[in-house]
Amino acid sequence: MGLTDDAILTNAAARRLLFADADAGTIALPRTGAAERTAVQSGVVTTTIGKVIQWGRYSSLWPALFGLACCAIEMMATGAARYDMSRFGCEVFRASPRQSDLMIVAGRVSQKMAPVLRHIYDQMPEPKWVISMGACASSGGMFNNYAIVQGVDKVVPVDVYIPGCPPRPEGLLDAVMKLQKKIAGELPGSLLG
Amino acid sequence: MAAVGTPMSGARAADLLERELPSAVRRRANEFGEETVWVDRASLVAVCTLLRDHEDASYTTPVFVTAVDWPDREPAEPRFDIVYMLRSLQYNDTCRLIVQVTEDDPNVPTLEDVFPGMDWHERECFDLLGINFTGHHDLKRILLPTDWDGHPLRKDYASFGEPIAFTHNLEWALPAQERPRDMPGASR
Amino acid sequence: MTALPPLGTPPAPLDPLSEQYEAGRERLGVEEGLDSIDLVELGDGTMELNMGPMHPSTHGVLRLVLNLDGEVVRECRPDIGYLHTGFEKDFERHTYTQCIPYTDRMDYLSPLFNNLGFSLAVERLLGIEVPLRGQYLRVIMCELCRLASHLLWYGTSALDLGATTAFVYAWRDREKILDINELVSGVRMHTSFIRVGGLLADVPDEFYAMVGEVIKTFPKLIDEHELLITKNPIWRQRTVGLGRLTPEDAMAYGATGPVLRGSGVPYDLRKAQPYSSYDHFDFDVPIGRAGDVYDRYLVRMQEMRESLKIITQAFNNLPDGPVNTTDRRVALPPRNELNTSMESLIHHFKLVTEGMRVPAGQVYQAVESPRGELGFYLVSDGTNRPYRCKVRAPSFSNLSALPHMVRGELIADVVAVIGSIDIVLGDVDR
Repeated sequence: MGLTDDAILTNAAARRLLFADADAGTIALPRTGAAERTAVQSGVVTTTIGKVIQWGRYSSLWPALFGLACCAIEMMATGAARYDMSRFGCEVFRASPRQSDLMIVAGRVSQKMAPVLRHIYDQMPEPKWVISMGACASSGGMFNNYAIVQGVDKVVPVDVYIPGCPPRPEGLLDAVMKLQKKIAGELPGSLLG
Repeated sequence: MAAVGTPMSGARAADLLERELPSAVRRRANEFGEETVWVDRASLVAVCTLLRDHEDASYTTPVFVTAVDWPDREPAEPRFDIVYMLRSLQYNDTCRLIVQVTEDDPNVPTLEDVFPGMDWHERECFDLLGINFTGHHDLKRILLPTDWDGHPLRKDYASFGEPIAFTHNLEWALPAQERPRDMPGASR
Repeated sequence: MTALPPLGTPPAPLDPLSEQYEAGRERLGVEEGLDSIDLVELGDGTMELNMGPMHPSTHGVLRLVLNLDGEVVRECRPDIGYLHTGFEKDFERHTYTQCIPYTDRMDYLSPLFNNLGFSLAVERLLGIEVPLRGQYLRVIMCELCRLASHLLWYGTSALDLGATTAFVYAWRDREKILDINELVSGVRMHTSFIRVGGLLADVPDEFYAMVGEVIKTFPKLIDEHELLITKNPIWRQRTVGLGRLTPEDAMAYGATGPVLRGSGVPYDLRKAQPYSSYDHFDFDVPIGRAGDVYDRYLVRMQEMRESLKIITQAFNNLPDGPVNTTDRRVALPPRNELNTSMESLIHHFKLVTEGMRVPAGQVYQAVESPRGELGFYLVSDGTNRPYRCKVRAPSFSNLSALPHMVRGELIADVVAVIGSIDIVLGDVDR
């Protein structure tokens, strides 16, 4: 039960009140249907709870600081001025895993570090996601030897893998965007398709 | 070869040792512009203390200690070459000392009391190569987990993370029990 | 609050623990009344706190076990090895050219120095000399790498102490150097640009414009960075007089680089044992006086300016000519020869598949990396693979002096001291 199309379209006075600029016509929202577009014009959106929850989750993914080696430097570069990661919602890198929902495993995981990795993953509250950044985290990389865990998915479940040694910051941003699509797709009627 | 870098000779240290402690010096060689002195194990601490304290030498900075594993040397020599490098900032010189130990007796006196910086280097050498530094206050593993078995940098330690499977050797990716019996190297 | 001592005051001798505690409380302006809070006695009144390995300020996966008396650190035991990768074992399994990408990833903040050290060691064993243009380009790329590393250090250690703006500014400028890296080699960080016998290839034409831009704009940018925090009273209060290391202790622990020079010892390998034509350039070596965190900070800021001087000189005097040696043991035959000479073709094939053969022997080659003396002890047995390549990591020795430096400091100061040593765990753990 929401506002019907006729009621909204005839409410020209209300539109003028809400939008001071004269040429306020349609507000282009990304990938929304016609009904939703006109609904937002008067400041009201109808949606499902699921969609709102999805939107909240993927728009504010807070990464837990898990930079291990060289990929951590590119992760920090992604958070720095040129490739600003906070545009995608990863505003703060939380030092405490209990306050984060995304673990970006950036770097090679040694045998000594693997139990720590699992421990930190277990400390994160649900829902949580893992991005395995770089070749070393995804498969052991160039280090096929006694010291490195051959792929962090032997220790934690991974959602997105990023190739590269180290991956470019754009690669990490692409992975975050793919993860956002994945999160959006977890509930029916997703906004991002 | 001045463009490559002034090679660091250790002639100052070698000359001093031959003068003051000739019984400790077993051999001396010069290659690629660097002097190496082979030193007796028992007099190692005395040698290093002399090199640190003597005013003509003052090798006060430890650079590193490591070991090189030569399991099959011809003609037969002790298996491990324990290599020490010390630097004198005052005289801008670096010297190299080598102590040879066998496989059955990989013990060397610690230099921790002479140079505090040798503490971690000796722990690393123990960790990766199994050399026992007698007298060290706390010789435990530093780079690998404490319950690790074996010493990886020894030549008989096979370093192998995971076999990489291609289309022509898919059997390699199988666990050992499931590989075909007549595969070359199947017992690995 | 007690006033800061004026610049140039000689450092006070290290006080016994109790007096330093009093001084620490005084420094923070803690009133007498807080003494009345009851603390749980743990044996001798100390508490053991685990810092790391996942910690925002330990610059990597470093674990410190701190023995605390209230907020004062009685004992600090670093636990390293969480990034041990087994590089030295990998060196023994790969040919010399295949080892070069491995060296990139050890000290991953200044990868070109690792390449340079390894290449110089192999070149000494082979007895080959790189043409002058190759050497000058090596110097330019390495000093740019030093700038990038110091900018990164500046950004992260300022961020640790709360100066967030410094982080963003420093990384903005670091991106310009990474653009140059990408131009010459295609990769931002692990370029593998310096190879045995010279470089990967000669630099493209846009290189000159980009380096000229760096030379023109960076002096002002470094001044901007200094303006942010050098005279800032908060910064000075958090760094002056902290983490003191006497010159004798620095030498005894094997500390090198800015940690050693901050304590007043004027030893820089580029001057003492010049390599790769560093003796052609005129630059100074900044040293500190008190050996505290502030002095190490000043040393590194000044080193950035000296690097710019070196880059300017090398850039202005860059000679023409080849960048790679023509020694056939290392260099591939020219392509036009491959059409006519069977021997060249076979030689090319063997050089690419088997790699170069290096005469037997042992050599130690050290370079002055941003962290200190990065040395490669290379033992060759005459084959195409290193027999043993020991890497002497500067951060390993510098970090071993940490327990000595933080004894008696407050726990919050441990973070400042770690930042001033400028460690890279890839170097420490290898």
